[in-house]
Amino acid sequence: MGARNRTFAILAAIVLLGWPWLTDDKFLHHVGVLICITSIAACSLHLIIRTGHVSLCHTAFMGFGAYGSAITVMRLGLPWPAGLLVGTALAAAVAAVIGPIVLRLTGKYFVLITFLMGEVVRMAIVENASLTGGSNGIFDVPPPYPFLLSNRAYYYFALAFAVLGVGFCARLLTSEFGRAMNAIREGERLAECSGVPVIRFKVTVFVIACALAGMAGSLQAHYIRFVGPDAYSGFQSLNLVIMNVIGGMTSLAGALIGTVFMVTLPELLRGYVNIQQILFGAILFATMAFLPGGIIEAVRRVRGLFMPSKPRPAT
Amino acid sequence: MTGLLSVERLSKNFGGLQAVSDLSFEVAEAEILGIIGPNGAGKTTAVNLVSGVIQPTSGRVSLGGKDVTGHAPHALVESGLVRTFQATTVYAGETVRENLLRGAFRQIYPGLLPTLLETAAARARREQANAHVDEVMHWLDLMRVEHNIASSLPYGIQKVLGMGIGLAAEPRLILLDEPAAGLSAEETDHVRDTIREVRKRGIAVVVIDHNMRFIVDLCDRVLVMAQGRELARGKPQEVLRDPRVIEAYLGKRYAQAQH
Repeated sequence: MGARNRTFAILAAIVLLGWPWLTDDKFLHHVGVLICITSIAACSLHLIIRTGHVSLCHTAFMGFGAYGSAITVMRLGLPWPAGLLVGTALAAAVAAVIGPIVLRLTGKYFVLITFLMGEVVRMAIVENASLTGGSNGIFDVPPPYPFLLSNRAYYYFALAFAVLGVGFCARLLTSEFGRAMNAIREGERLAECSGVPVIRFKVTVFVIACALAGMAGSLQAHYIRFVGPDAYSGFQSLNLVIMNVIGGMTSLAGALIGTVFMVTLPELLRGYVNIQQILFGAILFATMAFLPGGIIEAVRRVRGLFMPSKPRPAT
Repeated sequence: MTGLLSVERLSKNFGGLQAVSDLSFEVAEAEILGIIGPNGAGKTTAVNLVSGVIQPTSGRVSLGGKDVTGHAPHALVESGLVRTFQATTVYAGETVRENLLRGAFRQIYPGLLPTLLETAAARARREQANAHVDEVMHWLDLMRVEHNIASSLPYGIQKVLGMGIGLAAEPRLILLDEPAAGLSAEETDHVRDTIREVRKRGIAVVVIDHNMRFIVDLCDRVLVMAQGRELARGKPQEVLRDPRVIEAYLGKRYAQAQH
């Protein structure tokens, strides 16, 4: 088992590090960067989902990271690491303030309130034009370092952050903390009566996840080189949720698969812009109707056909 | 006999409704106390008050001499008090072992940083918790179903597992809310024997149930509640002969006919 995991990890590393040299197509490198950045956002949202809450304002926290970082670098003239730090800390701080309040809500009430919060953030960005550039956004955000102007270079840069960010999520979920998260999702009252400080744990997860989203936001802002309010709207948050649903809500791998799927597909469907949304809707419906466990469920089922069943791992 | 749990003049008002009023009782180490009473007597409210699920309007709860009134359930677990729920509450989609490991949170969780770094202390805690879970499975006779998914187990075994989740937290006192509800006679006997087994380990038990035979067989002392108040208390056989208790359960005429 250990040896197979190691083989898989080495193979994955070769593919992830090697593929950009198989092609000079900048567009493919661009898709690679988007997948890396989005995977951090989707996997961090996955953490919140794993405590039983579907947040519809996760990209708003990417927004805090993006604006915080861009403004720090451009207005204060500080280097990018300072921007990253400010953006991440800002997202975490906001999460720490609102988390203890909103995480007491469950189910659809939490979904509704987070949707509204996302809109409030968007409005606040639009209304404070002197700081944020309003609906026009902020142009010409500098890259973190000059050599990162090439898509291929930025891919490796973003990949490093994605490996760290997603790896951290995986570590969290496989730890005893992750066991408590699962207990909270599957039986909040029961977990509380086993000694799990439920609200404190939920807030911790929320703050960690939003900090990671802030980090992704900073990476995105300095890659796209533009920040605008629409990139952080409720619609984009919904996309992150869909990535988790399509991939499979019960495993981190599902969130990764969903990310690759949802980022790549629109790029492949560029020729059919007008039917894109319809197609997305159809895929989402089909997933929920036939594969409630998401793509990862399909993978498990197929693997089950070829391999003898073994106990499901804890992640 | 020193009191482990001591409840003094506990009261709870829901709006105008006095669900529990002036309830006082003590539980000694390794004692089994039964709380019975007709429907609506306030038994479950009493358990909810003691276990911190709801806050009392007035009164005091102390555990091992420490005031724990109004503490949240997770904090009470830290002090050694756990409870089970009336409906079976297990993690339905998980194995028996995973259910029990989740119950052992207090022992197994070493803090966020140690668990992320998998320190030596974290490993030691996990090993200890695993050993304790093995032990709990032995007491409760769950070894055979260790790797079964909880929802696939018969209802009676699920109830025992629910108790096991509580015991995995190594409590000094466990509150059982209707552990025998909905069970067959045979399953009820199994639960009764299991609770005796729990007491042998030095754990005090407070048990609420409707099944009179079950309570009489099991408990050292019984507290009878009616309309939120204490009606009678004492040894099970004596309490059941008390005319006030018979009246509360069966009506005045029946009580008079007996005497």
